[in-house]
Amino acid sequence: MMSAVGSGLWLLRHELRLFWYGAGSGKGHGAGRRPGLGTIAAVALVWLALHAVGWLAMRNLADVPVGDPRILLAATALLAVSGTFMLSTAIKSSVLALFERGDLDLLLSSPLPSRSIFSVRLAGVVASTAGIHLFFLAPFAHGALLHGQWRWLGVYPALVGIAVLCACAAMLLTLGLVRLIGARRTRVVAQVIGALAGALLVIASQSYSLFERQWQGRMRELLGGMLGPDGVLAAGSSVWLPARALLGDPGPMLALAALAVAAFFLTARHTHRFFAVGLQLSASTGSSSAGRKAVPVRPRFGRSLFDTVVIKEWRLIVRDPQLISQVLLQLLYLVPMCFVAFRGDGLHVPAIGAGLTLLASSLAGSLAWIALSAEDAPDLLLVSPASPGALRRAKLAAAVMPVLVLIGAPLLWLVVRSPLGGLVLCFTASAAVLGAGMIVFWCGRPGVRSNFRTSGKRGFVMNLLQLFNSLTWGALAWLLADATSAPPSANAAIGAGAAFAVALLTLASAWLMRQPRDRAV
Amino acid sequence: MDDNMNDSAPALRIDGLRKHFGRPAVDGLDLTVRRGELYALLGPNGAGKTTTLRLVTGLLAPDAGTIEVLGVDLAREPAAAKMRMAYLPDEPLLYGKLKPYEYLEFVAGLWGVRADEAAPRAQELLDWLDLSRHAHELTEGFSRGMKQKLALAGALIHQPQLLILDEPLTGLDAAAARQVKDLLLSHVAGGGSVILTTHILEVAERLAQRIGIIRDGRLIAEGTLDQLRERTQGGSLEEVFLQLTAAS
Repeated sequence: MMSAVGSGLWLLRHELRLFWYGAGSGKGHGAGRRPGLGTIAAVALVWLALHAVGWLAMRNLADVPVGDPRILLAATALLAVSGTFMLSTAIKSSVLALFERGDLDLLLSSPLPSRSIFSVRLAGVVASTAGIHLFFLAPFAHGALLHGQWRWLGVYPALVGIAVLCACAAMLLTLGLVRLIGARRTRVVAQVIGALAGALLVIASQSYSLFERQWQGRMRELLGGMLGPDGVLAAGSSVWLPARALLGDPGPMLALAALAVAAFFLTARHTHRFFAVGLQLSASTGSSSAGRKAVPVRPRFGRSLFDTVVIKEWRLIVRDPQLISQVLLQLLYLVPMCFVAFRGDGLHVPAIGAGLTLLASSLAGSLAWIALSAEDAPDLLLVSPASPGALRRAKLAAAVMPVLVLIGAPLLWLVVRSPLGGLVLCFTASAAVLGAGMIVFWCGRPGVRSNFRTSGKRGFVMNLLQLFNSLTWGALAWLLADATSAPPSANAAIGAGAAFAVALLTLASAWLMRQPRDRAV
Repeated sequence: MDDNMNDSAPALRIDGLRKHFGRPAVDGLDLTVRRGELYALLGPNGAGKTTTLRLVTGLLAPDAGTIEVLGVDLAREPAAAKMRMAYLPDEPLLYGKLKPYEYLEFVAGLWGVRADEAAPRAQELLDWLDLSRHAHELTEGFSRGMKQKLALAGALIHQPQLLILDEPLTGLDAAAARQVKDLLLSHVAGGGSVILTTHILEVAERLAQRIGIIRDGRLIAEGTLDQLRERTQGGSLEEVFLQLTAAS
């Protein structure tokens, strides 16, 4: 495809090229490398496999009438979840595209009209927002097509339309947020929205089973009434219009497409100036410390090496809102776990124990990676006379201590409520935390703190070991806690023994695969 | 700090230093920095200046050769050698989420400086480098010059006898460059030694007692500015440098 140099199409090609290069590194912009053939082949295989799943799944669903309220309810729920994730992705993409890629100064100083630049950026945000959802959902539409149901192709305009609406909203929200709180904190907001969407998805998927039987009955009755021919959620209700668009109903589909096109052009037309102003303002609010009143420090010299390193690590973690939000958002998943643990007939010690152990292990692994592998100034430590072993042990302690404190309160409460079970869980949770820390201690590769969620934690072996560590200690927590209330079955005893053996084997493997440290002298 | 130090040893002695990265980066380098001397190591891009400094600081292991810091063999007693020196790379080693005092606390902790020495020293350095009014701000908002000055304060907090600086004045404005130069001269006047690399020949010309010129990992000329001029019949250091690096 040939396009005139400097035209909007030419700029779009440039964007696509950057996206393609970024796809290889998982960074979403041009800092990386092209995806390798192996990656492309693996992605293609996954997509083909999804088509097989889609073909099987749509065998019975393909000819379900569009007017079936159950289908409309499911499609609406799907769109709600997808939309929330899309908004989160779109805000992150907007921050990246507008404020973090660092090439807009060049583009805006060129003779290209800023409207073209903004339109192309918006199109890029739409593509990155819709892409992943289409990847997973389009195979189902294709599966339905193979069953002769073309209308499921409505997934395309519906998802792209919603992605456009989310991208427009995200662009405007981003520009406003960046003005108010700066680019970095805006990314944090995007992450929080994404994590909330994830947590809501878990809670929603469990919500029905969380209610007691009598409530489940009442809910069924209530929903049945609402979905009935005379209910507020009858098939003709306008609430279902987005779902109808998704299911290929021509009217709603065209309306959504028209709305998306209008939103795109209006956003591109009326906000490019706002965008340029926002860009300039971000230079003054981009730094998270800018504009903030400096809190006086009371210097305290003469601490031991251990204390010095631990305090430095804690300061770096606590002062990085983006990082801490990424780490602590894992706590959100405690909410559904609490529902499961406390529902109905009382305390479920095994469930709480397994959940706490999994969570603590995951948190400890994340913090250990940040402290041990994502050192900002490794050369400073290497040129210092401090022993590398002492430095790394202090960093490990800095990662593990907050997690032990965090789980300390619920564990103490469990010990009071159920002494034997509580003590067992103290052991499994502590072992999981220490195991997660030691795996990073031995196998962690140097990374960059800002890449915590993407390439930063790369290292297939380490991630696999972390997974084994979490799952085995979690399983052991469940089985042992269960055994404190009733004599264990033979299978449970064998399972506990196997889990313990695998946990030890995981640690031994981590020790055997430990990384050579890069200290030269 | 000086209990085990050999008083007659030079601040830095490098003998037959070699390092290959596919091709020789440092190729049989012999070099000595005397006590109380500011030594400038010059050379074209890719000559091996930074590699030499990274070998001296222990960030890289040499393929061959020995490095002694104030008489202490770096390979045999790395901790003792490192206690006596400090390194300031061209990109400052800072933590964006720490404040200057906290950064100095951390560096002082790494070198095990006692509180009664570190606290007044930190205040003195921040005052000298005009950073006191920013002492309670996170360094992520600092300009390049402020970061460079803070990194220099960190390098000096443990009062090293040998200061190793890689392009210390790059990116500094005139006032900041002046402050850094004054601090280096003061360090040398107090008996300390400095080895620095720079592309700003005026800095070497005005500050250094001796100048070494390195090319392809080898020292091709060394001496005072006058000695180098005599050798080449050149005028300014720029002319001397260009003649020597072209001639070799």
